[in-house]
Order: sequence, then structure tokens, then C-alpha cells
Amino acid sequence: MYNLGTVFNFEFMRTIKKKSFWIMTLAFPIIIGLVFAIIFFSNQTTSNAAENTKNQKFSIEVTDESGLINKELLKQFDAQESVNKQASIDKVKNGKLDAYFYYSKGLDKKGVEIYAKDVGLFDNSRYQGVADALIQTSVIPTVNGETGAILRNTVKFNSTTYRDGKKFDGIKELIAPGIFLVLFYILIAMFGNQMLTSTTEEKENRVTEMLLTTIEARTLIVGKILSLIALAFVQITSIIVPVVIAYVFFRTQLALPNLDLSNIPINPLRIGIGASIFTFSFLLFTGLLVAIGAVAPTAKEAGGFFGVIMIFIFGPLYAASLFISAPNSPLVGFLSFFPLTAPIPLMLRNAVGNLGVADSLVGILILAISSVIALTIAVRLFRYGVLEYSNRLSLGVLFKKQLKK
Amino acid sequence: MSIKPTKRKTAVSISHFRMDFGKKTVVKDLSFEIYKGEVFGFLGSNGCGKTTTIRALLGLYQPTGGELLIGGEPFSVSSKIKLGYLPEERGLYKKELVIDVMVYFGQLKGMSKLDARKQAEIFLERVNLTDKAKTRVDKLSGGQQQKVQLGITIMNDPELLILDEPTKGFDPVNRRLLMDIVEEHQKKGATIIFVTHQMEEVERLCDRIILLKDGVSCAYGSVAEVKQKYGNASLDDIFIKIYGDENESNEEIS
Repeated sequence: MYNLGTVFNFEFMRTIKKKSFWIMTLAFPIIIGLVFAIIFFSNQTTSNAAENTKNQKFSIEVTDESGLINKELLKQFDAQESVNKQASIDKVKNGKLDAYFYYSKGLDKKGVEIYAKDVGLFDNSRYQGVADALIQTSVIPTVNGETGAILRNTVKFNSTTYRDGKKFDGIKELIAPGIFLVLFYILIAMFGNQMLTSTTEEKENRVTEMLLTTIEARTLIVGKILSLIALAFVQITSIIVPVVIAYVFFRTQLALPNLDLSNIPINPLRIGIGASIFTFSFLLFTGLLVAIGAVAPTAKEAGGFFGVIMIFIFGPLYAASLFISAPNSPLVGFLSFFPLTAPIPLMLRNAVGNLGVADSLVGILILAISSVIALTIAVRLFRYGVLEYSNRLSLGVLFKKQLKK
Repeated sequence: MSIKPTKRKTAVSISHFRMDFGKKTVVKDLSFEIYKGEVFGFLGSNGCGKTTTIRALLGLYQPTGGELLIGGEPFSVSSKIKLGYLPEERGLYKKELVIDVMVYFGQLKGMSKLDARKQAEIFLERVNLTDKAKTRVDKLSGGQQQKVQLGITIMNDPELLILDEPTKGFDPVNRRLLMDIVEEHQKKGATIIFVTHQMEEVERLCDRIILLKDGVSCAYGSVAEVKQKYGNASLDDIFIKIYGDENESNEEIS
């Protein structure tokens, strides 16, 4: 692996110095930031508007045939009692009254009638808010505490689930091994195309012959892969840092949930399995991309093959619910152990905890063997394919003649 | 013409080389030797197998048969020999800066970053491209890019310099510059394989030559010996005599 460091430095530095890399890198957190900012300002505006609306005084008349409304409360709201429904409605029509609420007898069936002056699509909701507040505040205090809590929807639920006699929280258990699935998705989604371009670049630029007389194809490819991993680390850090900052400093404003990361279960076996599946999946995918880059004459043509690989890799995501609900079905078995489709099912099943140790070992073994084969063939294809500058490599000739070596 | 080496040590040895691509045989049975310190002209019409032979010599192709040795062993990137290779297919990393590309290749050839930068700057100054050092390669003209590639080829002061049609696309001024550079390297003791169709370049630079036709050697020896074999005709006439019928038949086909 002589010159590996040189290749790594060159590939890493030339990419990190490009504006397009930083545009791509920063675009994601910026877009996320913008979305959060929009949500924040929208919430803030809505909250302010609601506060303004709440504080606005408007004239109300109320007819209570249900007998549920607290008369004292009507005074607090400056609401007048009306005995003539039609007269109150006429006042609203003539603009002499802002709102009239009619609480009929048998509210459960007839409901509350609201007649009010139009104040705009969003502000019109204030009338229903006041009508609802009047009845809720009148009725709920009259029932006992527990029923009141149920009515207010403030009852807390504490669940404890067990698996094999031990506490098992499916959602929390999913987090640590699930990270590998997320990482795999991000890496492939962000770097798949870059990897492909990277391997076709030498060919398109006609620089291969000079390279391959100074460096081993394997070293070149390993250097490229390592630089892409390092670049992925830079990108992921660039994404995570603003998210962490937003979470730490603006959690309340953004209405983010309070995550207690201290009690996330750490299962070393499942994390080890997840890491192994992730590593071999990434190597398999890399090998396939390098092979495509070596076979296709241009990045454009390689893109067609890339699409097919992406369908194989990410297609199983559409059957995600099946992997969770029916892990023993033949289809899940096939998708879990067919090398091209295996990464997502194996990582997902490991994350949700329905991938047994035996299945894990079989899956890892299949991925390991496939990735070694893919990378070996990829290096050979690169070695010979890159000299077929404008032609697609003839696999027949390659396998008959060159791979005999 | 340079001085012939007194001690004829073999730098490159090709023995019964055969190369098939599928059912097509590009080189049939080729054997020759290149001596240390000489400029060796590798001549022939387009498609006669020159580039294929060089690629096989450098391990880029796996030969169908025969043996191709540099310094007595098959070439690999881990060979200790200092190689400078300017391939027929020209190209560089187009979106990178000239100096970065030159330093990168210098490092790949075993130079330190500092040395590579120094050598790159010296070469760029010599070919009047100092002001282009921090220009992207794709912003250079075709001729300027070729000069940069030539600089990369020679920056490690190679013992074996292989130039596959190096003057293709060069104007007369740059052609002369290139030939001066070749002569300088020969004086330093480098062995040079020179692939060209320009017979005046052969006359000026080459000690010995080989002419390939249809994948076999049809003339091999010193320039004088080859000329003598063809009745002391000029190299141009010899070339036309050997390949003229081929071109005619090509024209008929076209």
C-alpha cells in the first residue's frame, strides 16, 4: 500500500477545497435550519396572534339552555345573557354585537351554535375558543380530580415491557444499533454518486496510464475509499454540529422533545452485529461502484448502472414493515440473505431486535464474502477497464484472458 | 545523433511477445532488445501494435505470450527503476491546479512534496508556464497541457523514459523544446523509447530503431543498418515503402 497516504491526501484535499463540496455539505444543515426557523417563527407568530386574540375584548351574548354554563364565568368574560335568540342573531348581522353563543339543551347531540362577525379566516377561530373555554371551565371543575384529569387528557402512561424475562424497551433499544442503518443511508445517499464519479474520472480524463505505472490500482482505490469516508465524516459533522447547537440552545423555542440519552440501552452484541453488517455492506457497495466505474466509459453511462444498484440496495426499505412484523417469512429471508438486498433488511432487523445470532452470522458471512469478491473484481476491472477509454469493457474478454492472471 | 553506448547492457528485453484481444491478434511474435543509454525509435503505422507493446511492457496489459522485461524483470510499480512514461492517450486531472497535479505525480513517483514542487516550478519556468502554476488544467491550451504532462513524465529524472508520440499536437517551437529535453536526458544516461511517425525526429534522436508491421518486426537495428538494408534510402522513403501498400489498401477499404 505504498503511496496510500499520498492518494488519500490528494483525493481528500482536492474535494474539500471545492466550493461544490461545501455547497452540498452546508446545503443540508442550512435547509434543515431554515425549516426549523420557519417552524419557529410560524409558531411564534401563531402564539402571538393567539395571545392577541385572547386579549381582545369583544362583545358576547349567551343563551344557555343546557344549564351547564357558570353564570359567574359569564361575568368574567363580560358576556351578557340573552333570552331572545333571534334578536341576538340580528344584532350580530347588523354589526351591533361581535358574537352570540347558543348552548342548546342536549349539547351532546345539538352542539353549540355560534353566530359572529367575520374577522378573517384565522381570527374567526377565537369565537369557538371562547365558547369552548366557557363550557370547559364551567363543567370540568364540577367533576372529581381523576375524571377531570381524563377529561383534560393529562393522564400519564408508564409502560414496562419484557423480553426473555428482562426489561426491553423496543424504541430505546432501537437507537444504538439503528445508528448504523442511518449512517449507511447517509453515506450512500451523499457519496454514492461521488464514489462513482471518482472512479470514472481517471478514465474520462485519460490519466489512468500515468497513474497505473506509478501506483497499484488497489492502493488507488483504497485511498479513494478512505478519503471518501473522511469526507463523509466532515459532512456528517457539519450536519450534526448545528443540530446539536439547535437542540442545546433552542430546544424550548423549537418545541423539541427532551431526550434523555443517559438511559439508552447499549447491547454490545447487537452493536457489534450492526457495525459488521454496516462495514461489509459499505465495502460491497463500494466494490460495486468501482466495478461500474471501470466498466462504463463515462460517468453518465455509469449512472444508469448506479440506478439499478440503488434499487437493489434501497428497494427493501419499501418492505420495512414486513421485516418488523413477519421476520420469518420467506420473502424476508430471501431479501436478508441475497447480497445486493441484504444490507437494509439485516440492519433494520438487527435494530428492531428480531435478527437472531445465527441469522446475523450467516448474513455477515454472505456480505463479507460478497464484499471481498466485489472489491477483488472491482480492482481487476479498474486495472484493465480503465484502458478501454471510450468503450465499455468486454467482460467476456476480461474474464477469459485477464483474470487468468 | 548521440554517442552510442560502449557497454551494451540490456535495459529492456522483449522476447516472443504475443498479444491477442479476443480473436484479434495485435502482436504476433515480437522480440527485440533496447540497450541502456540509447534512444530507441519504435516505429510503425497506426494500429501496428506499438502502444500495445508498451502497455504490456509496463504491466498494463497481461501478454498472451512471451516475456517483457525491464532491467531483467517484469515491470511493476514496486520496481526500483525510475520510470517516466508519456502515454499516447494524454490527460490530466482537469479540474485541479497545474502545480497540485505535478506535485501529486511527483510524490507518487517517490519524490518528497518539497522536491516535487521544486522540480515542477523549475520545469514550468523552463517552458514559460510559471504564471500558469495555479491555473486549473482545463484552462490551459492543449499544447500547454501536453507540456505539463511532459513535465510530470521527466520530473523524477527517469532512468527509462518512454515517450509515445510525444510531439503529437506540438508546434515546431515546442517540438524542438521536447527534442532538446530528450537529448538532455540521454546525456544523463537515460534509456529512451521514442514512439513517433516523424522521421526527422528519428534521424535526429534515435540510435536504433524497430519498425513494426501487422504485429511483427520488419526492420530492426541501428538507423544506418536499416537504411543500408533498404538501399540507403531515407527513413521517409523506407516508411512509405513498408507501409505504403497498407495505406493504399486502407484507402481502398475506406
